[in-house]
Amino acid sequence: MTTTRTISRPLVAGLTAATLLTAAGCSGADTAATGGEPADAAKLKLSATTMAAKGQLDKANWLLEDEPDSLDLDTQGTSAGRVVLTNVCERLYQLQPDMTTKPFLAEKAATPDDKTLVLTVRDGVTFHDGSKLTADDVLWSLKRHADPDMEQADEFGNVKSMKKTGDREITIRFKAPDALFTKALAGDAGIVWNKEQVTAAGKDFGTPGQGDACSGPYALKGWKSGDSITIERYGKYWGDKPLTRQVVFRWASDSALVNALKTGAADGTYAESPNTASALRSTKGLDQHYGPSTASLVLIPTARGGLKDPRIRQALSLALDRSGIAKSGYGGLVQPWATPVGSGAWGYEKAEFAAAQEKLEGSAPATPSADDLAKAKDLVKDAGAPSDPIVIGTDSSQGRTVVANAVRSALQRVGLKGQIKTVPTAQFEEFYSDPAARADIDVLVGDWYISKADPMGFYDNGLSDSANNWVGFKDATYDKKVRQALSTLDDAKRAELAIDVQKRFVDAGVWIPVAQVPSALVISDKLTGPPASQAYLYYPWAAGLGAKKG
Amino acid sequence: MLASRLLRRLAGLVATLFAASFVIFAAVYAAPGDPAVFLAGGRDKLTPERLAQVRSQYHLDEPLVVQYGRWLWDCVHFDLGRSFKYSDQVADLITSRFPTTLQLVVYATVLFVVLGVGAGILAAVKRSTWIDSAVVGGTTLAASVPSFVAAIALVSLFGVQLGWFPVTGSGEGFTGTLHHLTLPALSLALGALAIISRVTRQAMADAAASDHVEAARASGVPERDIIRRHILRNALGPIITMCGLVMAGMLAGTVVVETAFGISGIGSLLVGAINTHDFPVAQAVLLLMVTGYIVVTTLVDVVHPLLDPRVKEARA
Repeated sequence: MTTTRTISRPLVAGLTAATLLTAAGCSGADTAATGGEPADAAKLKLSATTMAAKGQLDKANWLLEDEPDSLDLDTQGTSAGRVVLTNVCERLYQLQPDMTTKPFLAEKAATPDDKTLVLTVRDGVTFHDGSKLTADDVLWSLKRHADPDMEQADEFGNVKSMKKTGDREITIRFKAPDALFTKALAGDAGIVWNKEQVTAAGKDFGTPGQGDACSGPYALKGWKSGDSITIERYGKYWGDKPLTRQVVFRWASDSALVNALKTGAADGTYAESPNTASALRSTKGLDQHYGPSTASLVLIPTARGGLKDPRIRQALSLALDRSGIAKSGYGGLVQPWATPVGSGAWGYEKAEFAAAQEKLEGSAPATPSADDLAKAKDLVKDAGAPSDPIVIGTDSSQGRTVVANAVRSALQRVGLKGQIKTVPTAQFEEFYSDPAARADIDVLVGDWYISKADPMGFYDNGLSDSANNWVGFKDATYDKKVRQALSTLDDAKRAELAIDVQKRFVDAGVWIPVAQVPSALVISDKLTGPPASQAYLYYPWAAGLGAKKG
Repeated sequence: MLASRLLRRLAGLVATLFAASFVIFAAVYAAPGDPAVFLAGGRDKLTPERLAQVRSQYHLDEPLVVQYGRWLWDCVHFDLGRSFKYSDQVADLITSRFPTTLQLVVYATVLFVVLGVGAGILAAVKRSTWIDSAVVGGTTLAASVPSFVAAIALVSLFGVQLGWFPVTGSGEGFTGTLHHLTLPALSLALGALAIISRVTRQAMADAAASDHVEAARASGVPERDIIRRHILRNALGPIITMCGLVMAGMLAGTVVVETAFGISGIGSLLVGAINTHDFPVAQAVLLLMVTGYIVVTTLVDVVHPLLDPRVKEARA
């Protein structure tokens, strides 16, 4: 049961333009870093929400970094599609701006025992075609999500049966207790579709010209392929009425996106790439808000060369200048971080997780001190310095290039040799999937995010049989504790276990944490209301959007 | 006579398209990167089993020739397939984006024809004066600026700083489209200006040196008429040919400008398709571009003899 999702968007978007415009070094990303003044990463203030809106708004122009592939998140789930659809479609649970989850279209949820979840379907909810949302729709939707061909199928790995057990009641039984299941129901695995509409649309469901089959505060008004997507306030919405009547989505990448916001052609965007936000810092007429997200920059070592030895990995972690990376690679809009998941993953027991993260800063300092370097050199001496240079795999995007160079100089500082291997972006993604593709590299300059606000959604990557455990880390206690945590429904107890496995993961250097990447909301200074946290992917953010003044 | 010529043309067109489609298919196929990686979903899904399943689902595990054959078979049945990336029909994707690119190219063509031919005529008429030098110098400068540099400069000056023109999107309605596409069309047209003005200038100089122009001049025909009726008319052949070729080339060259201005046209569709190994879309778009090129050049070929009777006689 894996729970990670890629942030392929920021990268691929950056890349498209980069491949085109880089020839002369004119990509938007490049101008971005020099555009505004760099933020001070250490002082970056993360808040989950923005000031509540007071006034009505007839229309907001919103930018995406790319056109959604599809508006059927079961067959093709991308960030761009989620940013739109999260205002249109509702889920059984709802992720809140503070990254906690609560029952939503499931009005109530009960767990008579650890292996049973009973959902009561909310009454009085209508789909956008006016028909009533029923338990049959819920069950049908869950079964569609669970279909092995669908994106969310892996979330249902523990499910034994799903049945309608009452007029408004669905009972789900598990093979083993599943702590992350209700969190998945706050994500795409919990969307409730209108069975009739989805079936009628068939293969074309989710393509331009089709309806939305959902029940959210906004209804899909139209998708002009290649041009725009429009959503409009749904008059008969069961919850609070949004202040903004209509949101029109268009898409642009890199400099085109930055220019559209600069000239006021667009009212806002959730900037997936920190460099976009950086380019727009201190632009007149625009506000920026940063919020917690699960995204992070990481180094993913392989078992091939020098980094096979955990001591060398620890040495690299100690010698890495994370503040330098944040400043010169990302305009200060990422934060040096000592765990491989961002703080947005702390959907419960926040204080405990924060304290644990701080404790780990000793092994992953923001800026290495003389002591850190001495300790790192000792570790290298212990392990015996590898003779071959350590090959750092990256693509040519600005941020990654900076990280790759920082890794090389960190290696130099501890007396090791680094060598950077740059591949085209189309090939870069293969590093993640194909052991043959990464056969020539010792460490990958990577990024990662998880879709559920629970660190345990990440740490299964360190299991000894995980496809993402490239260094071959094997620890029976680790495996046992991860499995135990995944089936511990009690938040406090699970947090305790999570903090334990997190320390083991970081100490072993399965992956080396570099920085957390906050989510960034760039918005006209006349507007406010949407959350700033990563919840914008799963929470109806446009429902809170409105004018600052009433 | 005409029918058989048209038939030969058509056969040639089909043969060219057939050859081009195979070359394109093979090239897209050979590009680095594995389409299954993009098709599989998130990174956590990238297990060997899942990738193998995706490959077989999209027939990516079959030999190149079989895949090509499959595509060709569907294609002659007017089915361009479904996009890998978008679940939408390829034909729908193209129909919704092609008008934008076409408008952009037509607008750019109008700009470079009017400005380029105008400048060329001016230079030819005022030959060896400072005007001539200014035109040659100015257009050379314009041509040496790559279109993406021009795009960035135009955006930052007229879009961001002065705010005269919108910086993204393709606009709605006639005036809206005109307003939105002015800067992109201008950046596309700039490079063509030098070529067209140079060709115009040279063609007119050649025409001016012919005997009948001397004769007309000697018999007292006003200079204005000489330029219009004798010189320009005779010079039109090479000018139109060149305009056609440049326009045809533009159909394939809007990629960079579309990206810089955030216009969702055929060019940006192609880039996205290539980056994500969306074979059906890349194949269809490239073929459309090749077809566009062939059609425009054929049209120029057909129009040429109508303008210049000498060409018709030579061919007959």
